[in-house]
This record gives sequence, C-alpha cells and structure tokens, in this order.
Amino acid sequence: MKIKLFITIAVMLLSTSLHAATLEEKVVEHTMKNGMKLLVMERHTSPTVAAWIRFRVGSVDERSDERGIAHLLEHMLFKGTTTLGTRDFAAEKPILDAIEVTAQALTAEKAKREKSDSAKRAELEKQLVKLEADASKYVVKDEFFELYSKNGGTGYNAFTSRDGTTYLINLPSNKLELWAAIESDRLQNAVLREFYTERSVVMEERRRSYDADPESKLWETFVAASFLAHSYGQPTIGWMSDIENLTRTKAEQFFHNYYAPNNAIVAIVGDINTKETIALIERYFGAIKPGKEVPPVTTQEPKQAGERRIELVAEAEPTIMMGFHKPGIATPDDYVFDVISMILGSGRTSRFHKKLVIEAQLATEIGAFDAPGDRYPNLFVISANPRAPHTVKEVEDAIQVELDLLKTTPVAERDLQRILNKIEYEEARRMGTNGGLARNLTEYEATTGSWRYMTENRGKIAKVTPADIQRVAATYFTRENRTVGFISKKGGDK
Amino acid sequence: MSRFLLLLCFLVTAAASVSAADQQRANPRTMKFPALNFQIPQAERVVLQCGMPVYLLRDTELPIINMTAMVRVGSVYEPAAKTGLSGITGSVMRSGGAGGMAPEQMDDELEFMASSVESGIGSDMGTVSLTTLKKNFSRTLQVFSNVLLRPDFSAKRLEIARKQTIEGLRRQNDDPKEIAGREINRAIYAGHPLGNIATFASVGTITRQDLVDFHHRYYRLDNMILAVSGDFDRAALLKELNGVFKAEKYPAPLVLPPVPQPAEQLQGAVIYGKKDVNQTVIRMGHLGLTKDSPDIYAIRLLDYILGGSFTSRLTMEIRTNQGLAYSVGSRFDIGRRFTGSFIAETETKAESTGKAITLMNSIISAMTKEPVTDDELTAAREYLINSFMFGFTSPVSIVTQRARLEYYGYPDGYLEQYRDNIAKVTKADILNTARKYLHPDAFQIVVIGDAAKFDLPLESLGTVRELDLKLNIPRP
Repeated sequence: MKIKLFITIAVMLLSTSLHAATLEEKVVEHTMKNGMKLLVMERHTSPTVAAWIRFRVGSVDERSDERGIAHLLEHMLFKGTTTLGTRDFAAEKPILDAIEVTAQALTAEKAKREKSDSAKRAELEKQLVKLEADASKYVVKDEFFELYSKNGGTGYNAFTSRDGTTYLINLPSNKLELWAAIESDRLQNAVLREFYTERSVVMEERRRSYDADPESKLWETFVAASFLAHSYGQPTIGWMSDIENLTRTKAEQFFHNYYAPNNAIVAIVGDINTKETIALIERYFGAIKPGKEVPPVTTQEPKQAGERRIELVAEAEPTIMMGFHKPGIATPDDYVFDVISMILGSGRTSRFHKKLVIEAQLATEIGAFDAPGDRYPNLFVISANPRAPHTVKEVEDAIQVELDLLKTTPVAERDLQRILNKIEYEEARRMGTNGGLARNLTEYEATTGSWRYMTENRGKIAKVTPADIQRVAATYFTRENRTVGFISKKGGDK
Repeated sequence: MSRFLLLLCFLVTAAASVSAADQQRANPRTMKFPALNFQIPQAERVVLQCGMPVYLLRDTELPIINMTAMVRVGSVYEPAAKTGLSGITGSVMRSGGAGGMAPEQMDDELEFMASSVESGIGSDMGTVSLTTLKKNFSRTLQVFSNVLLRPDFSAKRLEIARKQTIEGLRRQNDDPKEIAGREINRAIYAGHPLGNIATFASVGTITRQDLVDFHHRYYRLDNMILAVSGDFDRAALLKELNGVFKAEKYPAPLVLPPVPQPAEQLQGAVIYGKKDVNQTVIRMGHLGLTKDSPDIYAIRLLDYILGGSFTSRLTMEIRTNQGLAYSVGSRFDIGRRFTGSFIAETETKAESTGKAITLMNSIISAMTKEPVTDDELTAAREYLINSFMFGFTSPVSIVTQRARLEYYGYPDGYLEQYRDNIAKVTKADILNTARKYLHPDAFQIVVIGDAAKFDLPLESLGTVRELDLKLNIPRP
C-alpha cells in the first residue's frame, strides 16, 4: 500500500498562510493499481462523512449523435445493478432486451418525423407500454436511494457538467462501507432499467431548466453561438431532438467506454480513519479492471474574427451577456483573468457594482465569471440586468468603458492586496464543510490535474502585476473576440 | 511433480483468497455497522450585562468567527400600504452607512479585511450577521454593531434600493416558477400580512423617516438574541460584547403589535396565469399547522412519505413511473409564529397538465383514506432518526439552531426528545393527521402556462380566476 503524505515546504507567501499548509498536511493522496485516485481527509467536527466520486467524462466528450448522453447516463446510474433494484435479474433481463428492440424501432420510426407511419408508431408504443409494465414487476424502485436514506444518508445526488460527472452523498461516518459496496457495484454491474421513462423525465428537466426560463434559454443560445466547433458549445442536457433519439444502447456504450477506475477520482472527507478508509476502498474497488482513458477533445475553436450578436425575443425584461474567448484553467493568463474577474465583479467594491449599480444606476445586478467549463479554452462572461428605462445598449457601453480602462490604466496595489486578502479568507472558509472540501478536491484534481491548485493558486495570483492585467485586457477584450447575447421583450415595453 | 504440486497449491490459495475477498464485501441489503457515538452538541447560553442572551460555541478548526443577531421584527409588522418597507429597511441598514461611516468607506474597509456584515428582514425575523477572520474581529464587530443599532440610512442609498425593488417588480413575471410561487402564497394567505406583496405604489410611498422609525421601534437590545461561533477566547469575547452592547434605558418595554392568525379558506379555487411556454407550472395547497401542535412529528413522517423524498408517493408515481415531471413534491412548512402551509408542486409539459393535477390530487387524497404501509413508516422513521445528526455538522449551524429555538419559543428538550417523538408515531397517527390537515377540496391551485395546449379544460377542476400578468408600470 502506497500512502504518500504530502507535506510541502511551506512557502510563506504572506504572513498568515498557515491554512494552505494545513490542507497540504491533511489531504492524503493514494493511487490504486487500477488507476483510481483517492483523496482522503480527516475532519472530526461531527460524526459524518462526505463521499464524492468524479468521473473525468462530461458532455464535452460527447460526439454529435451522443449529445445529452453523459447527463442521461448520470440519471440512469441511480436505477440499480444486477443485484440491487431488482427482484430477479435473470427474469427481468429478457424483458429489458425486448424493450430495447421495441424502443429503438419506435425511436427510428419517430425520427422519420412527418414521413413516419402513424399506425406502426401506435403499435410500437402499445408494445412498449406492455413490456415496461411487465418489467416493472421485477423492479425494486430506487433501491440505492432507499438504502442510503434508511441509513441516514443525505444529499444523495449527482451532477453532470461539460467537464465531468460527479456522484455524491453524506453519511453517518460509521456507514462508509455502505457507500463502498453500492458504488463499487454500480461501477461494475449497473443496469439501465426504466430508461425510456427516465428519458421523458430529462425532457421535462429540459423544459423546466431551459425552454420555459428566458434567462437560461438565452444562456444556452449564447454559449452555443460562442463555440462554432468546440463541443463546449453544446448544452450538457442536449437539444430536445438529441434527447428524443438517445437509446439505452448508446448510454451503455458510453458507460462501458468511460466509467473505469482510471477515470475516477474519489474524495472522502470527514470523521474517518485514513488508513482504514483506504483499505476499505481497496477491498471494494481494487479488483475492478482499468479501462481506456477518455481521449482529449482535439477540436480547437477557430479564432473568432468578428463580433457575434445573439437576440432572444421573450416574455421577459431585458438581460445582457457578454463573452470573450480566453484560455482554460491554470494557464498563465487564466490567473490574470481571476484577478480581473474579482476587480470587475466581486463584491460591493467591484468596479461594475460601483460604476453601473451605484453611480450610474444603469443595472441592478452585474457579475463576471468563467464558463461553460474549465478543462479547455473557455469564456470570460459578464452578465447584467439593465434597470429600466436604461437599455441593453447603455449597459453594454458602460461595461466596455470599464474593460477599456483596464487596458489603459494600471490597477492600484491596494486593489490587488484586497483580492489576496479575500483569497486568504476563502482558503480558510472552504475548510469548513466536508462536502465543500470533497467538491473542491475532486473538481480541481479533474480540471487542473491536481487538487494542489487550491493551495498554489494564491501564490500564482500574488505574482500577477498591473502590467499583466493591461496586457491581458488589451489582448482579449476586443470587439472581434466578443459575443453579445440579449433578451428583447416580446412586443416591446407595454 | 513437485512443480505441479506447487502450482496446485498456488491455485488453491488464489481461489481461497478470492472467496475470502468476497466474504469481506458485504451485501448492502443486510449490512451491519459499528455503533456510532453521537451526542447532541450543546452551546453555552450567557446573558450580557445589557440583558441580551448570547449563545456561544467555541471551535478553533478555522481562524474565523461568525456571529448573528436575531431581531424580533418582520414584514408582518409593516403597514399594507407600505408593503416592502421591512425588506428595504433591512437592506439599507447595511448599504446606507452606519455610525457616521459613509457607505463607500464601510464597503472598502470591510472588503479589504475580507470581512462581511449583512442585514436583512424576513417575514418574522430580522438578522444582522458577521463573518470575519479572527484577526479582524474587533474592527468588524464595531461595524456590525453600528449597522445593527446606528444605521444612517443615506437618502441616496434608499433611492437606489427603491429603484432596485421597482426593477425587481418589473421582472416579477419573467419566470413562470416565480409567478407560481408568489401566487400560491398570496392565495393561501389572502387577507393576511403574509400574503401581501410589494407594488409600484407601496414602494413609492416609503420615506426615509419610515425606515428610521421602523428600525428605531424594533432594533433594541431587549429585542434580540445573539449567536457566536468560531475561534474566539471566551473571556475576551464577552468583554468586547459587553463593551459594544452597553445597557440602555428604554422609556417603556417593547410591545410587539398584535398580528392575527391567517384565516382558513374552505373553498377551493383555480388561479390561472397565461405564459407562452411549453411547460406548465403547478402549485396547490392550503394552510397547515404551527410548531405548537402535537401533530408535528406525525406530519414530518407524512411529509417524507407523501412528497418529501425521492421515493415518496408523488415522486414515485409522477416522475419515476410516468415520466411526467423532473421535479415533483409536497411539503408542510411548519409555521413558527403563524399557521404554516401545505404546498404540492410540479412542472409538466403543457399536454399533460390535467393529468398531472388529477394524479397529484388523487395521491394526496389517498393519504386520508388508507393508512401508510409498514415499509413506508419504517423507511421514513429510519431516515428522520438516522439523519438527525446532519443538523449539527458545523459550529455555526449548532449555535444558530439553539438561538432560533429560544427566538421562536420552542419547549425545552425539543431537540433532545425529537428522535423519541418521531419513533413513537404510528400508522394511525399519520392517517389521523392526514385527515386533519389535508383537504384537497379546499386547494388553491395555481396553474401558469398556455391553456390552449392543456389536455383538460381548467374549468373542470373548479372555478377559474385568471391573473393579469401585464404590469401596469407607472411611467418614471
């Protein structure tokens, strides 16, 4: 067993960076023979533990005929295994196979759209309903949830992003073995039962999260327009017609291709013993064979050569989003963007808040952030709600004034120091919850290659100079590199 | 020969070790666990020289101190014609400067220390909270006490807050879920301060003097409780708190204005708002109960079984079995001072609107007809008892919880007896509480969407009242 305790030489960047060192001391890193990465941290504040598994595969890794599959698969992995979620898998399996044949035929028929044969569709639909009813006799509904829940588990959930897919739970700390048993079973023996009902659930999720919510709909359109080539542009949930055409077979392929221990990062944070925890995970996951690595996305977004403007007409008040292409996380310029984003958009002293909200009162809300993912080159995004009677154009111009100011005028030392003070505080604060730590450990391990990004980040940011900010602002905040999205109120302002 | 034997031995060992490993991997259905030692964490209660109760919990894991003042105030005390006054007061206490310190100066000083002081007023509680690195505590505490007791209410900042509130009103019908949430609350609490919402007119009448008076009336040292947690030295902290909150003489004890309980509505209604969307937002409900009812434990179990978990009846049928919705559920919001509510909610495609409403109604009605099953009762009970410890995972949540129990007047031993009280609830208790508190005939049903695409005429569900979602925005 190889347990490496990483205690780095404490480089005292600032007088009180004790807590960065503490995280370095507390996190134990262990790589299993099959490639699974464990990050374990003891916190004895309460007798609870957070257990997170992150797979290095997200919607960015989908081909065009798979859009939405990473997210739909995430839903499907709550449906059980060959032994959990079923009363008798041997009897259930032939029905599941028949469902798949019928559902694929139905999906293919529906895909013909207006040329499809309605009698054939009706017949297939009838067959599918009957088969699903037959199969449901064998299903133990949501047994994973039921087992976790009875044992006091809370926050049992999962989320899919462009960059990855994460499964999480909080448990009383004496019940971590339940997690190891269920999750190792899920990784090896998942059965994607009730697939076509869940596909309908995801369509409802899409209607709820995007179609019927104007701001999210603008967001989806804006991101898609920003990326012509790279798969960061496609929505994680998939377009509606993508979801309609996903099949269980496709989901199973995606699962078998990518859900392997060498693509998994596990973080266990809480009231546990590190050595015993690693032994426990070795016992349950150690025999699982490694799979192939997720291939990198090789498509590069061509350099944007002119402004793009996206309008959404909706029953809603105006909103504006402005995006600029930039490099991904942990690249040299990305640290400069971290500083820029805090100067412009973080807190009541930020320039956007002071200038646009308090002084000119053009907007009620304004913020700046990176999106839609981190692993690959992404966008620096500014989002604002204009305050009537001020228009999208007025807000857009005022934002541009602030961006241009960064090019011409060096940022004051006090502003940079305030940012470092804020990061120092955040370093301490984020140590305060099991789930928050587990989230950060898995996220940064996956997107930057090491969770140590968390402790090294402040040192990198401390080196950013006013000249760096001017250079980066001049390089990226250009009209050619800009995409603007906005909502126009349907029928104007009545 | 010997080589063959050796090989055989190796194989036997290998086989044996595989089955040993199998035995070491337990079945999740029958797994047993080591005992867990969980004691409900306590917080110390002390009383400052000025008479203010303070809950303390020292924890040195992080070099941070958190503090919250809970003030007996709320939107229920604002005049209907000035709805929005409490929200704006809470916000401008922080944004409008305090103790002679200008707003810009306060923002700059706090953010340079990475400290935060925030203030807000909800329906039945006002809070001012502080978060700071330990090294900046004293200075942040000064700002905190000024915001709490000596806000300056800058006229310019009041105007900004007013304009922001008005912009919020302009946007109140943009998101169908927001419309539905607001309208179900308004329907359930019709005629009660809890059902009032701000309007362009009410926000327009609010003056700076209104803010000053509202604050002056409620933000008194004899009308608040403090909760402090984090990396402090007890003696030094108490000395600082006594220094900042000096005893004050008030001409008369504070008497909170009487607010009646909301009136029960016996008549159901359908409230429809038209939006050009492909999915309908559905909310249905009526009044519920308060924390003083002995039925709250049965209600917790009922909630889990009916609509409060992923395996609840509503989620199981409408989402898992029928694929009609992504999000579906129901909840009794147990009232602390005023009667709470029961609300069931979902969103479904326009074409299955009627089906979803009918299904929800019948699933809720079924709770009042037959007892829940043994399995349902066991699952709910085990979850509520075994997950209880998650209410105590951070010093902030522990100390805030204790202060809240005193603020709302929960009986002594409430937390200590909670799990026993849950364990005592029977199937008959759940059936009785369902009959007592669930009345589908009296549901206010809010439906936001495009009725032209519905599978059922709304009139078949009851008398329909249509909302006017056009805002009559006054010209500035």
